[in-house]
Amino acid sequence: MKARKEAGRPAKAAAPDFNFRRLPGGRVLLTNDSGASAVVDEAGFRAVAAGRPAGKTAAGLEAKGFVRERMDFEGYAAARASRNTFLNSGPGLHILVTTLRCNHKCLYCQAGAAPAGGNGTDMSRKVARKSVDFALNSTNPGLTIEFQGGEPLLNWATLSDAVVYARRRAKAAGRDLRLALVSNFSLMTEQKARFLLENEVSICTSLDGPADLHDRNRVFAGGDAHALTVRWLKYFSERADRQGPGYRVFKPSALLTVTRASLGRARDIIDEYARLGLGDIFVRPLTPIGYARKLWPEIGYSAADFAKFYRACLDRILELNASGTQLRERHAMIMLQKIAGADPGYLDMRCPCGAAIGQLAYDYNGDLYTCDEGRMVGWEGDKMFRLGSVLKDDYRSVMLAPVSRACAAASNLEAQPRCARCAYKPYCGVCPVCNYESQGSLWGDMAASDRCALSMGMFDALFGLLQKPAKAKILNGWIGQ
Amino acid sequence: MKTEGVSVFFDSEVSSPEAVRLAAAVMGGRMGVEVSKAAGGLSVRVYGPGASAGTFANEALNQQCRIDLARVNSRIASIITTKALLSAAGEKPARRGRK
Amino acid sequence: MTTRKLSIAVKLGEHKAEAVRYAAYAVSGSAYVHISPAKGGLRVAIEPKPGCGPAPALAAAFRRELEDEELRARVSAENRELREFLLLKAVNYRPAPPPQDDSGLTPQQEKELNDLIAQIENEIRTEAPGSDPLGITSTWEDRYESKKRSRKAR
Repeated sequence: MKARKEAGRPAKAAAPDFNFRRLPGGRVLLTNDSGASAVVDEAGFRAVAAGRPAGKTAAGLEAKGFVRERMDFEGYAAARASRNTFLNSGPGLHILVTTLRCNHKCLYCQAGAAPAGGNGTDMSRKVARKSVDFALNSTNPGLTIEFQGGEPLLNWATLSDAVVYARRRAKAAGRDLRLALVSNFSLMTEQKARFLLENEVSICTSLDGPADLHDRNRVFAGGDAHALTVRWLKYFSERADRQGPGYRVFKPSALLTVTRASLGRARDIIDEYARLGLGDIFVRPLTPIGYARKLWPEIGYSAADFAKFYRACLDRILELNASGTQLRERHAMIMLQKIAGADPGYLDMRCPCGAAIGQLAYDYNGDLYTCDEGRMVGWEGDKMFRLGSVLKDDYRSVMLAPVSRACAAASNLEAQPRCARCAYKPYCGVCPVCNYESQGSLWGDMAASDRCALSMGMFDALFGLLQKPAKAKILNGWIGQ
Repeated sequence: MKTEGVSVFFDSEVSSPEAVRLAAAVMGGRMGVEVSKAAGGLSVRVYGPGASAGTFANEALNQQCRIDLARVNSRIASIITTKALLSAAGEKPARRGRK
Repeated sequence: MTTRKLSIAVKLGEHKAEAVRYAAYAVSGSAYVHISPAKGGLRVAIEPKPGCGPAPALAAAFRRELEDEELRARVSAENRELREFLLLKAVNYRPAPPPQDDSGLTPQQEKELNDLIAQIENEIRTEAPGSDPLGITSTWEDRYESKKRSRKAR
């Protein structure tokens, strides 16, 4: 291969550094590494590329760093730093998988669920405490310990012990600690709920829409999955509305996992969330890992189909907002925060991704993984994403483990041919686990990546809506702007 | 004797041997891959169930584009990755006395 | 008859090899792409993947991407050093500390002082009428505005 010669002297008015994406209707989206964005017409685009924007838009473009000769270096660097604060610290999210047992058989489960009556897959109190101790080594000033499973309520003894232990240890160490629980609610009781509330554990569950959709996706032989979910969502919502002395009660959150059955039912799903008075919905696409990969021919869909569904969801949500119903979409909020210049702490959309250095998954036996998806790959027999063990390994060596470094390198957007030139680069992220599972390598091939296509579809939808003043006002209101 | 599979030639003026070998490593889990030297480049034979010369060619292109990008961006990419890893790892523990 | 495969000749005098590769890569989500040397340049073979295409549309997309890649190459070359400089600046960025208050008072003392001032102002405002014979506490508007209004009325 012949070495390519460096470019010579720049043209008289050098182009600023920017990426671009051609939009429908001849307009062009410009972005730069500070995260600034602008939509211009073709003439405006050519003027920016020539280093000479003119007319009414010139001042605005200059303020955003699209005029090289008039750049505010301090402001540019500050903006880039502010949207990438995660680069200054370690894992903030620590997922403790307290059991693999579960009493549901969700079609898309990536948790590697074991039967509810099984044994040998519960986290012991010792391992849970070791995991908490390990998490407290993190260099992140704010920590979240999230209890997941299987169904974590099936191992109540360890869960409740870990909650108390974590609060005590964090207080002694002067650490800011949040606790969260992800549960299907089927085993919730008044006593457990009180304990969780008094210990300020925030609650999250899955709600896939109205009963027929929810129960189709989340099969529960022991009862009515949807009814139980709704019952306890209402309980925790009412408690959050009332509050009380002594402890904070967080509003419960619910997430939607989109399957093929969801497509075409956007309105029904959004209306169900609105009916229940939920403030947020998190519209999550399926990840082809675990059961979801095996059942993909039945429950999967294309990126284009998801984009269409996502737009329909946003349209319905904005309709409801316009008529006074408060409901926000979490993915959109995350993206909007990133577009506005903040770091929302979302581990799936950052450079590098949060594998190991942003989050850790602690398996029931103390094994450490880069993330929950990596843990699932491990459950299927491939220990590619295993970092070590809380029982044997120290924090620093885990952070610098080969797979941690490999994931950081593979998810660096500056090293990905498609991402490095993409207008959505300042706001997006790559998942090495998804790449490995679907394309056979940590780096993947973004040109053929469904996950990339999904993300671009969501960004396209959002930037499209932001061009419409009435909708932009509502969307920006979601993030307090 | 008919040769099983499909062969594709990668001229080294367009696709570096490194890119082709990386593609072979990635695709090797999905299809049979045999790489051999040929005049001016490498010849790749893909065979077996799931074999697709087009898919292999795309992966080789993907790898070559990564190599092209690294020539320009490797320093920037390294700064970001190093910063992220060292921030996560924190301070090196103080050395203890020798055992 | 639908064209299944197309070949596009690209002159290396007009486009750089890297730009051709990136442009080919950009359409490789929808097509199988293979690049080979040709006289004076390169030959790009484009074959739509099942369910994608048709080939002429993908070839047109490739040509558009090629033009855009030339711009990207120029932008990248002109800004390489600046990008590194700005990245290092961002990575080492520390926000400036808030301006120091030089009153010599702690925040608590400031608050107490402000509360005292507010209290005194309130007492002055609510004192009984007639206790301000020189009109010190009344504003210009209080004194003259009513006279102006009554003059207008006449």
